[in-house]
Amino acid sequence: MSLTILSKQAFQDFVARILADYRVAGPTSKDGGYIFEEIHDPAELCMDYPTTLLPPKKFLLPTREVLFKYTRQNGGVLKDAPEPPPTVILGVHTCDLHAIQLLDTVFCSGHFDIHYMNRRKKTLIVSIECLNPCDEHSFCKSMGTLTADEGYDLHLTDLGDRYAVDVGTQAGEQLISKYATTKAADKEDIQLLNAVISAKWPKFPYRLDFDVSELPSILELSMKSSLWQELGDRCLACAACTNVCPTCFCFDVKDEVELNLVDGQRVRMWDSCQLDEFATVAGGHNFRASRALRQRHRFMRKGKYILDAHKHLGCVGCGRCARACLVDITPVGVFNELYRQQEAGS
Amino acid sequence: MSANGKPKIAFFDFTSCEGCQLTVVDSLQDHPELLNVVEIVQFREAMSEKGEDYQIAFIEGSCTRESDEARLKAIRERASLVVALGTCAHLAGVNALKALHPLEDVRKYVYGDKWEWYETYDARPIEAVIPVDFAIPGCPIDRNEFIAVVKALLLGKKPPIPDYPVCVECRLKENVCMYTKGKVCLGPVTRAGCGAICPTYGSSCEACRGFISNPNQDSMKDVLAEAGLSVDDIMNIYTMFTTYQVREKLLQKG
Repeated sequence: MSLTILSKQAFQDFVARILADYRVAGPTSKDGGYIFEEIHDPAELCMDYPTTLLPPKKFLLPTREVLFKYTRQNGGVLKDAPEPPPTVILGVHTCDLHAIQLLDTVFCSGHFDIHYMNRRKKTLIVSIECLNPCDEHSFCKSMGTLTADEGYDLHLTDLGDRYAVDVGTQAGEQLISKYATTKAADKEDIQLLNAVISAKWPKFPYRLDFDVSELPSILELSMKSSLWQELGDRCLACAACTNVCPTCFCFDVKDEVELNLVDGQRVRMWDSCQLDEFATVAGGHNFRASRALRQRHRFMRKGKYILDAHKHLGCVGCGRCARACLVDITPVGVFNELYRQQEAGS
Repeated sequence: MSANGKPKIAFFDFTSCEGCQLTVVDSLQDHPELLNVVEIVQFREAMSEKGEDYQIAFIEGSCTRESDEARLKAIRERASLVVALGTCAHLAGVNALKALHPLEDVRKYVYGDKWEWYETYDARPIEAVIPVDFAIPGCPIDRNEFIAVVKALLLGKKPPIPDYPVCVECRLKENVCMYTKGKVCLGPVTRAGCGAICPTYGSSCEACRGFISNPNQDSMKDVLAEAGLSVDDIMNIYTMFTTYQVREKLLQKG
């Protein structure tokens, strides 16, 4: 919408001020890695982090959340879970921004999810332009997620001693005008921004051997590929890939009763299609009993099924699953191998 | 059922350190309301009374001598439900390590020149002697899981013991993977439910809770070998808590 300039010091002050009125989350360091975490001091932020262990999704779809509390007395009274706090998520990379746009589509349309929507409408997103690849596993450029022109309330680009701030929404405009001291971008700022943006693109390699628009048709023709069995032989079914994924949204719902056996709460927690029990139904039949079928299902979701259903690709190229896999099953490796098999076969 | 309508439960111990029963005592301190819904009639670790009328028997410890078998069978006769409490009862656990050495050597090492006075045989899980309805895994058990199991049993439900690997809980806790830190870990094949407590505090998982139902052991061994472990190293970490299961597998294979 509009471009404005925030000095690094003004950014620190901005964060300190919003802390008074919002729950603020952002990238922080942990044990040699990085995580999105609620912060209480701007100094905790590591805005130049490469990637995080879990995506910021966890603030919209918590790993475990109470949906409501109940009692079996007095005809079974329900009590809603407490309202989520107003939240600002800082430092979201554009891959994760694209993933949140997918989650918004999934949870806020059709069979919409009131718990997600309650969190989402109270969440402001301050994203940041990536100027260097996280590491050798990221393939955002191939997936078209290396930049974003929507989905954020504010978008930062690091210009050294200052941030260029692109205001994406009215809520973003209100946030920055209420809490930050900014200055209008002058000609020099705009020249610097242009130079920084054009310098970044060559640093990111294309890692798919084909154009991403071909991915759905490549997958469609790969149902019988021998690759799935090879993956199934290697896969540990540890679910690391789906648990670190910014677009995976499957969950399980369970009731937890108190020791009085009368009161309780209904909770939901992340689930994974890679686990043995995921597709097991009453009576014990498992629709995807083999790891090979589960891996095939996962990659079909990422590159085709989700796109068919929700008009967004199910993979944003963040590379988290590739980093997390102990047996080196990676989307780039899988997609390129399926492409190679098809080229060889045709 | 006691006159007050509360199910009667009892605790028993065989070869073990009794750490799981201590964990139960600990859970009772956090959840004294447990005593509103059950009546404990026998619990050597916590009380002197010894009632022999009970519906649920929690048994800690492995069976390590023939004379244990009659006592186990008597408990099974009296109880409607038998629950193995902790790894020693569930899997034989570290007690099974003695099977890796000649029994006479083990007996001499432990009992010296009086070794013939003490009866013992290879440790086995209680399921090798009596039918067991449920198991609460772990060395020791997880106190929250113990409470969750009691609640499920009282509601007539199957106890909520996970059948997925520790990695699930570890990733959701945002721990940096032990392999990223250059260590090895049995998390990918080990049953979750502990909240990945060891990796969370910087130690690798050693499979104290036993394996998930369908672990990919071949791939796990490849991962360990790639991390630089020799076959002997791999056997060492695999036999810490699961010697009984590893031996059963090897015996099946011949």
